Amino acid sequence: MEKKDIIQSFKDSLFTGLIALALFGPIVGLRTVSKGEGLFITPQWGVVFLLVGLCILGRFLININSARRKEFKIFSTLSSKFSSITEDKAKHFAITGILFAVVFPFLPFTDRYFMDVAIMILTYIMLGWGLNIVVGLAGLLDLGYVAFYAVGAYSYALIATTFGWSFWICLPLAGVFAAFFGILLGFPVLRLRGDYLAIVTLGFGEIIRIILINWYEVTNGPDGITGIPRPSFFGLPFKRSPDEGETSFHLFFNLEYSTMHRIIFLYYLILVLALITNYFTLKIRKLPVGRAWEALREDEIACKSLGVNPTNTKLTAFAIGAMFGGFAGSFFATRQAFISPESFTFIESAIIVAIVVLGGMGSQTGVVLASIFLIGITEMFRDLEQFRMIAFGGAMVLIMVFKPKGILANRKPTILMHGDKK
Amino acid sequence: MSNLLSVENLTMKFGGLTAIDDLSFDAKNNQITSIIGPNGAGKTTVFNCLTGFYKPTNGQMFLHKEDSKISLRKYTDFKIAYVAKVARTFQNIRLFPAMSVLENLLVAQHNELMVASGYSLFGLLNLKTYRDKEKLAVDKARYWLDIIGLTHRADDNAGDLPYGDQRKLEIVRAMCIEPRLLCLDEPAAGLNPKESAELNKLLKFIKTEKQTGILLIEHDMSVVMGISDHVVVLNYGKKIFEGTADQTKNSKEVIEAYLGVDE
Repeated sequence: MEKKDIIQSFKDSLFTGLIALALFGPIVGLRTVSKGEGLFITPQWGVVFLLVGLCILGRFLININSARRKEFKIFSTLSSKFSSITEDKAKHFAITGILFAVVFPFLPFTDRYFMDVAIMILTYIMLGWGLNIVVGLAGLLDLGYVAFYAVGAYSYALIATTFGWSFWICLPLAGVFAAFFGILLGFPVLRLRGDYLAIVTLGFGEIIRIILINWYEVTNGPDGITGIPRPSFFGLPFKRSPDEGETSFHLFFNLEYSTMHRIIFLYYLILVLALITNYFTLKIRKLPVGRAWEALREDEIACKSLGVNPTNTKLTAFAIGAMFGGFAGSFFATRQAFISPESFTFIESAIIVAIVVLGGMGSQTGVVLASIFLIGITEMFRDLEQFRMIAFGGAMVLIMVFKPKGILANRKPTILMHGDKK
Repeated sequence: MSNLLSVENLTMKFGGLTAIDDLSFDAKNNQITSIIGPNGAGKTTVFNCLTGFYKPTNGQMFLHKEDSKISLRKYTDFKIAYVAKVARTFQNIRLFPAMSVLENLLVAQHNELMVASGYSLFGLLNLKTYRDKEKLAVDKARYWLDIIGLTHRADDNAGDLPYGDQRKLEIVRAMCIEPRLLCLDEPAAGLNPKESAELNKLLKFIKTEKQTGILLIEHDMSVVMGISDHVVVLNYGKKIFEGTADQTKNSKEVIEAYLGVDE
């Protein structure tokens, strides 16, 4: 390394230190402490200088370390190898994944916490697959997807608490309601594309949330809805001591009572719902309507010139995407037994969009990987409390740096003339 | 030969700008009618009016069927292709680049396949009626791909094809909707002489074998003069000449306005 290079990298690291100072100065340096009457600022410049020093040193080491490029290359070839493996053996990969998901609750290390995380990841996978229809296939950037999730959850909660209908009747109803709202959103945004569409859908998501907060008579406002019925195992409730004339799950199968039964049942429920979503999407992608969605994403004007009705095509995409969001919503409601507008904020939409985009638009396996990666990492760092969002952001940055088109970006044609050539 | 399309007193104004001024012409069945003229003469605007992308300020456009005639004004955007069976291609190619060549041709058969799939219901149930229809659609695609010699690339992405092949693919994609009138907007732009000779062959084939009327906008005179049965010359939105290719070549107005004089 020449002297010039060293000076150059030294300058660069000093500049990095300047940026670090600007960031850490106010964030870390000025700490507010409440003493008695008011809030006082306690400066802690020592920590700031330590952090800035670390940044300068780190940057300098990175700069002079010429092996850096090589290391990064290894990482990116690894990641591209990984995606080529999963693409070649997509079927095997999928089957292994499903098998693993099926036996997961009975693995020795699986405990309550793992199950909860797995259920959460599966919920996001299902939402991601649902949104994939709208964003990945039809190319309509929907930033308000959580609205349909909310509609599904509230439909289930309201119907189940008011009429006492069972989960299995409420589930399709919730899907229908959500699909209806999908069409409702679809109409005004038919002419919009890109950024404008994103803004309007974002607004729609907020409108639904604000209605839920303010329509107190129906939705119980910010207090939310409590006492949502839990799902039963085909009529057998998961209760320690069933009501008169009822048999509960553990008595029927002669098992020791355990709260895990219900968790495992919920796990399989969301697994089945998610797999139905996946199967449906894979199927419909190969049908004319699926191809029309993708064609619409590619070029709307060309679609019109070929006689494809863009209105119907977009509305079906919105409706079907929303329907799966509604299913996931009613699952969420029955799992939590309590819902409030708090659960349906914009950050949820953002996470789902992030999962779809980072997974690789339109890729079903990509959604799974991105969900596990994003949600899993956020969970792993739960001990860091609010700083775990840094891990979330970090995960996003990593994917964007090494896989700018998403984890699995390759698209397979929906129909082949010459068959699979290997 | 019978009339296929008659344009009557077509006028299109964008605010104060008159892009097309009182234009009337006819196009006949099984003929290639070319529209030529300098840049900005309003050629593409005529196409956009015909294919429903613009609503003309004034005037009528009729498509003749055996005895009846339908007014194209009544149909807007996708219905022009769906109901009136007028297909078009674009000046800057508009394929679906991330979809395969075969898929491009299947999207063009969307409406028939949609009905065959029972609006997706039969398709989801994987009924035989739908599978058979899909096979027919693939056969039709193969027929056209054989003609332009791209069958071996059917499963590749359309965006990966060379430019000339993309042009041809766009034309046969438009043919997959079985149009009665095919409007081609500068199909020879950017093609080398060999490719434009192939294009001529393809257009002649469509004209004679498929009984489709062709409306052509083109700057490449080797294409225009080689295959046109009828030429309409526009300048500043007005028709300045109409006649056969030979008449056009020798017309004083056309030479002055557009073709220019050989040094």
